[in-house]
Amino acid sequence: MALPLPPGLTPPEIAFICEMELVTIIPRQRLEGLELLGGPLKPLNPPQRASLPLWLALLLKRQRRANIIPPPWLSPDSLAAILQFETESSPDAFSPPPRLPPPPSSTTIPLSSPFLPSSTADAPADALPYHWLELGSMLLEAAPDDFDDADEVRKLLRGLREARMAKLRQGVEVLDAGGGFKMNGVGGMELGEARSFITGVVDGLRKIGKSREEARRERERENGYSPSQNYEDDEMDMR
Amino acid sequence: MTYYDVDAILTDAQKVPCTFELTVPGLGFLEGNMSGDIKHGSKVELPLWLGEMLALSQSLSTGTPLVSLDHPPALSPRVLNALKADARTVDLRALVPHFYNLGARVLELFEEEEMIEVLSDSFKARAAVIADQAHNPRGALGEGADFMRGLDENERQLFRASHDSAKAVRTWMTDIKT
Repeated sequence: MALPLPPGLTPPEIAFICEMELVTIIPRQRLEGLELLGGPLKPLNPPQRASLPLWLALLLKRQRRANIIPPPWLSPDSLAAILQFETESSPDAFSPPPRLPPPPSSTTIPLSSPFLPSSTADAPADALPYHWLELGSMLLEAAPDDFDDADEVRKLLRGLREARMAKLRQGVEVLDAGGGFKMNGVGGMELGEARSFITGVVDGLRKIGKSREEARRERERENGYSPSQNYEDDEMDMR
Repeated sequence: MTYYDVDAILTDAQKVPCTFELTVPGLGFLEGNMSGDIKHGSKVELPLWLGEMLALSQSLSTGTPLVSLDHPPALSPRVLNALKADARTVDLRALVPHFYNLGARVLELFEEEEMIEVLSDSFKARAAVIADQAHNPRGALGEGADFMRGLDENERQLFRASHDSAKAVRTWMTDIKT
């Protein structure tokens, strides 16, 4: 009750996390190496490409010291293909997230989403990464002149967002008090937007189905079903 | 549901029809009969909290409960049939402002598999419309106004939550432009 914020992250917080994503830039000026908390940064030598965190890239772009190369999935062609996949090929499921690369060897730890460069110039072109909406909007605002066709990209992004939000909203019809809903490939900002609605629906359904749930538990207890680890977890979820 | 939850208190204050199974001396004021006794078999509308306690308590000698509870009119078969036919057109707020909370409380007292199904299905069907209205700023004022007026208190909270999150994303989108 003390916190006025809703559970989950607010859009500015999601955008802040997204600013850690690496993007590819072409520097226009020399810049010495920087010692960042996330690791040292190599010196920038124009016209060599370099991968920087998004926040630094946006800063350099604003100071006209660099050009940002938009990631391949943010091109009109791949966005149109993904949009077509979303609306025509699979009207029920979301387009899958980028495939994970095979682990380099058995000894190293396989990398997954936040540590994989999903927005650099050599990212896969056929899938939307987790931060697609935030990253796309921020790049379109900060560096529209680095896109070939910024208006087209903006239009496609908006279309994709609408199509996917409609799917998320329709998903509640298959929800159940204990059931699930497949959300693979849903991005960070979309989750932040839909979270309060989906949790609200699940809470409401749970409240209605509470008596049935209790009756089922009662039956299980009578049938000698020993309360297992799972059972404890269920109790926790009810809070 | 905490102790100070206003919605829970208001739900408990809903009137439910009760039938007295025993003659109780001095309770006539419940019927408007200031000094008399309440007769066996008389029907009175009591708040849910009182009716529930009286229905659960048993007289020591006979073992029968003091009153027998009945379904409140908001959960009558007529309403459930209307919800089954098309949940979106029912004005829940006119029936009871805390429709689903009352439903959940009644379901704790009666075992009704079918009522759980009907309530969950109508909650889901109406939630989809609520989400559409919350993301569409014109819908809630224009053609959707009638539907929005008929939302129960739970659904209003749901609408507010999804409207706020949609608004937060829109605000962020305009903020990065400056």
